[in-house]
Amino acid sequence: MQLVEPPLHHRETSPPDNTVVLATRDLTKTYGRGKRRFEAVRQVSLTLHRGEVLAFLGPNGAGKTTTIKMIAGLVRPERGQVNIMGEDPHQKARALRHIGAVLEGNRNLYWRLTPEENLEYFGVLRRVPRKLAQRRGADLLAQFGLQDKRHTPVQKLSRGMQQKVAIAVSLIHNPQLLLLDEPTLGLDVEAGETVKQLVRQIAREGCAILLTTHQLDVAEELSNRVAIIRQGRIIAEQPTEALLKAFSSSTYHLEVEGTLTPYQSQAIAELGGNVEGSNITFAGSPETLYTLLAVLKPLPILSVQRDRADLTQVFLKLVQDQQELT
Amino acid sequence: MDLLIGELKRTWIQFIRYPAEVIAGIVITTSVFYGLFLSAKYMVGPGFAFGDRLDAVVVGYVLWTLTLYIINDIAIGLQSEAQTGTLEQVFLSPFGAPRVFLARAFASLVLRLILIVGIVAILTGITGSRLSFPITLIFPLLSLVMAGYGLAFIMGGCALVFKRVQQILGVFQFVLLFLLAAPVEDWSGPMQYLRYFLPMLPSTGLLRDLMARNIGLNGAGFAFALLNGLAYLGLGLLVFRWAETVAKRKGTLSGY
Repeated sequence: MQLVEPPLHHRETSPPDNTVVLATRDLTKTYGRGKRRFEAVRQVSLTLHRGEVLAFLGPNGAGKTTTIKMIAGLVRPERGQVNIMGEDPHQKARALRHIGAVLEGNRNLYWRLTPEENLEYFGVLRRVPRKLAQRRGADLLAQFGLQDKRHTPVQKLSRGMQQKVAIAVSLIHNPQLLLLDEPTLGLDVEAGETVKQLVRQIAREGCAILLTTHQLDVAEELSNRVAIIRQGRIIAEQPTEALLKAFSSSTYHLEVEGTLTPYQSQAIAELGGNVEGSNITFAGSPETLYTLLAVLKPLPILSVQRDRADLTQVFLKLVQDQQELT
Repeated sequence: MDLLIGELKRTWIQFIRYPAEVIAGIVITTSVFYGLFLSAKYMVGPGFAFGDRLDAVVVGYVLWTLTLYIINDIAIGLQSEAQTGTLEQVFLSPFGAPRVFLARAFASLVLRLILIVGIVAILTGITGSRLSFPITLIFPLLSLVMAGYGLAFIMGGCALVFKRVQQILGVFQFVLLFLLAAPVEDWSGPMQYLRYFLPMLPSTGLLRDLMARNIGLNGAGFAFALLNGLAYLGLGLLVFRWAETVAKRKGTLSGY
């Protein structure tokens, strides 16, 4: 499949600014000193609006987790600013009330406590009054289908259920911004699907979601926008659809039942198509495609497909292109 | 207040979720304590100022186990939560880490005091030793615990920055034994002033007066003890806050 060269940064479709939940500006983080000094994150600026899912993608060690932790106030940036609903978590711990997070590689929960107890405890820890935390906990358990497991200690639950509980806990204080670092990692197909549904539902309810994942099909399905980071630098940021479209070529593949007449083959060749048995390849405008379809009459058409890049191809191309550049 | 109740509930549930573990813990602590108690009795000898001296030893050991627990509490808690992966969630609290850890300290102290009272009751039952528990005991205990938690926050800060602090905690046991068991009330000369500035010393002296020597609470002595406790707690919180900043700068908050 042929990938075309797209514009890498695209910000035209941004909603108005009053819906901005997260805005980071020029976040930079350096680790080590002297010869061992390296810049883990360089001038990362991201904006996230209400109800939007931003897939934050990059190879291992690209700076995703460091960026997420800088946003969550867990790692202090060298330079740059984090602004969540107008507040900086590095200045005021109170700003953390806007954030819910499920961090990668962490259990995120107390394993000796039950889901219900975890929800109540973390609710209180996030400044939700205890009674309200109990009520919201019960609602979330119902919403996430965890009611029968509410009295089972978390360590006895399956990995998928633990992840559901972790996501429920991250929502107990009704945050405006949800940080999900590899939320579907290590889950079986069914649990992965459930988590994806939950993410969609949470975004629909207006929460802004920053999602990192190595499962690019998951990112493609869930995200409104994609930001790709490599060696600490954002190398592309665009709405997901626009990015995929920009990398997709305009080649169509058609399959018909039966054999084309010599007249039909000739007409198709004149339109720029290429016939191989009952398969036709055509690279042209959508208008000409209809002319071509008319030529095929009355043969039954089995399929018409346009070459469409998937996020995996886009990701690999972008990351590899940058590698060649450096 | 909700945070305090929340922490008390969490600490309690985590403690009693596995009853066999709780019972084993109490039996082991009581036995170890009883062993120490017997050997102290043996060392002192049956004919030598039995009552007072032995009671003082008992007080010393009770305080030692309590403060050892307090001082390890935060550092060990931080390390184990870094390993189990809940630490970063705790640092995501809008209360800020120092307030959360203060509430945790209070919760685990309440639990520990209940255990210690139980164990002391068992021991006095077994040994027939009589200890006096005047109500004024609560004051020097408070100042002692404050200074203890000051040290605990300092050790917790070390755990945040240096990660591996088991060695320091081990050495600290001996320093503690000195701070708690040395009869500093008998010190004279310039040394007698030093005891007001070392952590916990003013409080332990008062506790020994009250519990083993049946001397009433000395107002000025308690004022010094309280100042000492407040100063070390304040210092501990400052060190902890500093350590949090350093760990966030180094990006090692969740490391272990």
